[in-house]
Amino acid sequence: MFDNLEIIRIANGLARHSAARQTAVAENIANVNTPDYKQRDIPSFAALYGQEPDFAMKATHPRHIGANHDFAPPAPRVVRGAAEAPNGNSVSLEREIVKAADVRQHHDMALSIYESALTILRTSLGRR
Amino acid sequence: MSDLMKTLALSASGMTAQAARLRHVSENIANADTPGFRRKTISFDGVREGFDGPQMVEPGRVRLDRSELTLIHDPGHPLADESGNYLGSNVDLVVEIADARQAQRSYEANLKMFDQARQMTSSLLELLRK
Repeated sequence: MFDNLEIIRIANGLARHSAARQTAVAENIANVNTPDYKQRDIPSFAALYGQEPDFAMKATHPRHIGANHDFAPPAPRVVRGAAEAPNGNSVSLEREIVKAADVRQHHDMALSIYESALTILRTSLGRR
Repeated sequence: MSDLMKTLALSASGMTAQAARLRHVSENIANADTPGFRRKTISFDGVREGFDGPQMVEPGRVRLDRSELTLIHDPGHPLADESGNYLGSNVDLVVEIADARQAQRSYEANLKMFDQARQMTSSLLELLRK
């Protein structure tokens, strides 16, 4: 029922994206000493969806174009061009930790937005 | 949620692999003075789940370092030959300590990821309490 609210859909998408990106970061860190492992990443949420213009077509019906826009996170892809260690591994531990902090922040933000949207709904229903 | 569960499994596999490595390092250090001991090295293998799933890591085969054993001159040693030499181990303590430090660093990074995924899961479940 509340899936139709744009703010909740976006918060949901951001939380799922953060979880998927966290998996990619954890995979890189688990394989930090695996020979020939190439680091993988998912582009940030803003990079994936931030480019959409404000005047995009509105989808108000399930059969409209773009109505299936469920912000599903893409599969992680190998990052090319990263510096490699002599054993062919391209993971940088420092960069992964920074990414993890970023993911954490986005996940917290998504949950806070979701919670505050629910509070607004609850208030409008007359409860405290 | 299932992504976060995958994260927990991934970090756990990383920690297991680093712990196995640390075990071999401590074995090498313990045997640094054992005559004829060759240091053991371990490599990591990536194990991918399905075609495009996340890559778990697991410790690979244990190999022996084939480099030369050090020749130690000690005529009083029971293993010494006529010229007073015997073969020691090929363990280099500096290399082992560096290896242990690297394993520890990687282990801590995995632990941090594990903890972060756990916290993200619990804050997700916290939403249900409202």
